[in-house]
Amino acid sequence: MTGAGFRLDLHRCVGCGACVLACRIENGRVESAAWRRILPLNLRRRAGGPAYTFSVACHHCENPACLNGCPSRAYARRPDGVVVHDEHRCLGCRYCEMTCPFGTPVFDGDRGVVSKCPLCAHRLDAGLAPACVAACPTGALQFAEAGSARPPGDTAGVPGFADPAGCRPNLTFTPPRGQVRSPLFERLVERNRR
Amino acid sequence: MPAPRTIRTVCPRNCYCTCGMLVTVDESGRIIRIDGDPLNPATDGRVCLKGLSYARRQTAPDRLLTPLRRSRSGSGFEPVEWEDALSDIAARLDAVRATYGPSSVLYYEGSGSHGALGGLAMAFWHQFGGCTTTHGDLCWPAGLEATRLTYGANLHNHPRLTRESRFILVWGHNPAETNIHQWRLMLDAQERGAVIAVIDPRSTDTTDAADIHLQPRPGTDAALALGIANVIVEAGLHDEAFLRMHAQGFEAYRARLADYAVERAADITGLPPEAIRQLALAYARAKPALLVAGFGLQRHSRAGQAMRAAALLPALTGNVGVAGGGWQYANLASHCLRELPLPPAPRPVRTFPVSQVARHLETLDGPPVRAAWIERGNPGSQNPAAPRIRRALRALDLVVVVDQFMTPTAECADYVLPAKTLFEEEDLVTAYWHPYVQWRARVFDPPAGVKPESEIWRLLCERFGFDTRWFPTDRKAWLRDLLPEGQAHAIDRLPHEPLDLSGNGDIAFASRHFPTASGRVAFEAPDATARWGAAALPEYVPLDEGHAAPLASRFPLQLLSCKTRDRIHSQFGNLDWVRAVERPHVLDIHPDDAAARGIVDGGRVVVWNERGRLELAARVTPGIRPGVVHVLEGWCHDGDPDVNALVGEGRTDMNDGATFYECLVEVQRR
Repeated sequence: MTGAGFRLDLHRCVGCGACVLACRIENGRVESAAWRRILPLNLRRRAGGPAYTFSVACHHCENPACLNGCPSRAYARRPDGVVVHDEHRCLGCRYCEMTCPFGTPVFDGDRGVVSKCPLCAHRLDAGLAPACVAACPTGALQFAEAGSARPPGDTAGVPGFADPAGCRPNLTFTPPRGQVRSPLFERLVERNRR
Repeated sequence: MPAPRTIRTVCPRNCYCTCGMLVTVDESGRIIRIDGDPLNPATDGRVCLKGLSYARRQTAPDRLLTPLRRSRSGSGFEPVEWEDALSDIAARLDAVRATYGPSSVLYYEGSGSHGALGGLAMAFWHQFGGCTTTHGDLCWPAGLEATRLTYGANLHNHPRLTRESRFILVWGHNPAETNIHQWRLMLDAQERGAVIAVIDPRSTDTTDAADIHLQPRPGTDAALALGIANVIVEAGLHDEAFLRMHAQGFEAYRARLADYAVERAADITGLPPEAIRQLALAYARAKPALLVAGFGLQRHSRAGQAMRAAALLPALTGNVGVAGGGWQYANLASHCLRELPLPPAPRPVRTFPVSQVARHLETLDGPPVRAAWIERGNPGSQNPAAPRIRRALRALDLVVVVDQFMTPTAECADYVLPAKTLFEEEDLVTAYWHPYVQWRARVFDPPAGVKPESEIWRLLCERFGFDTRWFPTDRKAWLRDLLPEGQAHAIDRLPHEPLDLSGNGDIAFASRHFPTASGRVAFEAPDATARWGAAALPEYVPLDEGHAAPLASRFPLQLLSCKTRDRIHSQFGNLDWVRAVERPHVLDIHPDDAAARGIVDGGRVVVWNERGRLELAARVTPGIRPGVVHVLEGWCHDGDPDVNALVGEGRTDMNDGATFYECLVEVQRR
């Protein structure tokens, strides 16, 4: 069984950043670095490819590099797969910043500890979707429950997103549709394979 | 300890969506949540990043919380007490009036925050003896007038009916950025099998997700629309039954179409004839088909005719008055509030077109403008010839700017008065996409140093000894009296739900009655000639500053300055939360145009014409049409391009709009 995570519809995501702000508000990240980020890809539309955007936070990996590399055991994986970080255990050594290949943990210099997206575990426990998902204006960002089947057509690998360290992230993508973006995207996927 | 409370309110920005919002405030008065209002069926329980950013904006460190006066040294500002500020402002207004007359004061209001109370300024100016104001609009008036001439009213279907559409033609519009809730509905329709076609010289998030993307030369949309109509009529795909019953002047229009054979339309627009033909056939065959026109194709001097030409396509194909079809430009169903009660003006208030602030500040006579009061606007950044406006403002005897933050306009002021936020005064907010009137709640009292504009005007009236009975003592009662006849009771419901007070129903023109002179859709509109001297039949006229103009030999590139989802014009760009997710302000240029000028991606370039110049980084992209360059508008903080330095003070052929997208430039590497 796979753990809880996110699904991102690359056709619907316009990279607007509402998810980033919703996360800031929900988790009190006012002055500090945001836990969620927007990665715009190919804004120049090079190689005839479309522009598209990733909204990414923590992927709550099956094999979390942050957890594996943490000397103070600040990270734990809940039964539902949510990878949580306990800042009372955190030494601020920032090893997880180095081991996580996705750049997820952020160092809060003023407090001397690392922090990251807890998948709004407090909201999940109250039966609510994560704040970023609830705020997404286009419905692009979805919560994937633990053990839920991946919808047909969804894919784990898309150009611009790799899992170089074998972390097995719980993030899947719905590829773009539409006659403009879809064939261009397919071409990028093809190019990526070669 | 009191529990957090959740208050229903509305975002009052100049934006299609006009989202209903639920704001949750904790016991210390801090915003802890902002959610979409699920009771607004159009925005459907979501807001955008700008709506969420109010949690930061309300208490942003750069918010103005006290009146500021220009320092005696002339540079910078110093805090001043309200009492002293208003006394000095009143004395100086009085002096200007005594010397030059009341019309020597310009009252300029922008669209920065919507609400009925904004109109109360005129209660002061009418008693002052008048003033000078602007008419027309920077944004959308040509399209409004073209629609009014054609259909008789600016109404369109309820947004949710977008889902019923089988073909969505998006024209000069980028809803993925500027009307994100409409975009969600369009994507839903696409998932249900609808085709999305987009006409835009640029590539955007909208065009990327489309099924068809045509990139015509800017300013040639009238020729494209008439070419499409020609194909439709030649193929016999026009709706003869609808036209017989509900069209006026169709035969004359049909004869006019002979001038717009598809090859000629292709020649003018720079599109392949086959692309125009295929788009026309696909649009005409799909039922129902929705045409969504943005503001982008009406920001030039021939805009009214372009919009008339495009607006007729839904009528031509019988797509009017049906769910999932129609002409969607602006829906003014919610604009049903009564006129504000105001004291009579002693004489007509002098006005000039809002696209020509610079020239009128510089040259207006009898009397000249000697003082300016500016609120909810930022003309020193957002209007054509912005640098000249800033220079002219600095030369006036008195400039007062009311704003929440310092802006390029406020930098030119003698006094900057801190404005309330949307959470600090109750009001009624109308929309131009969905039909709802919404209640803007007073979530907080304004901070100690801040006064709502309505209060500023009342205090000024007191200083001048004017009658203050026009100002509300009880805002709810005052707003109740603005509701349409027989709807006063709605004032008690509005804080609990958005209301459609129009009685129009979800489908515009469902009755097939059109409030034009003939009661029919005006293919031929004699009013266009009577009111604006424009041809009664839509026609393509080349732009004075278009791709084929003589000026193009020296300035061969057409500059567009479009909108981004990160801002509403120059608002929101000051916030760190927004800046962290916003896209860069660069010059988009096609690889062919870049190569011809030795411009490399990321390199600094100078964009210039006879009006001005600006310098910024280039982004070389095959997504933009060759011959077209693009810079985002919305100068908000240092480093943003002052793009309106390049833009001229033209006027649209109808209704006094600005011509932002009729702007030839040359670009060179720096």
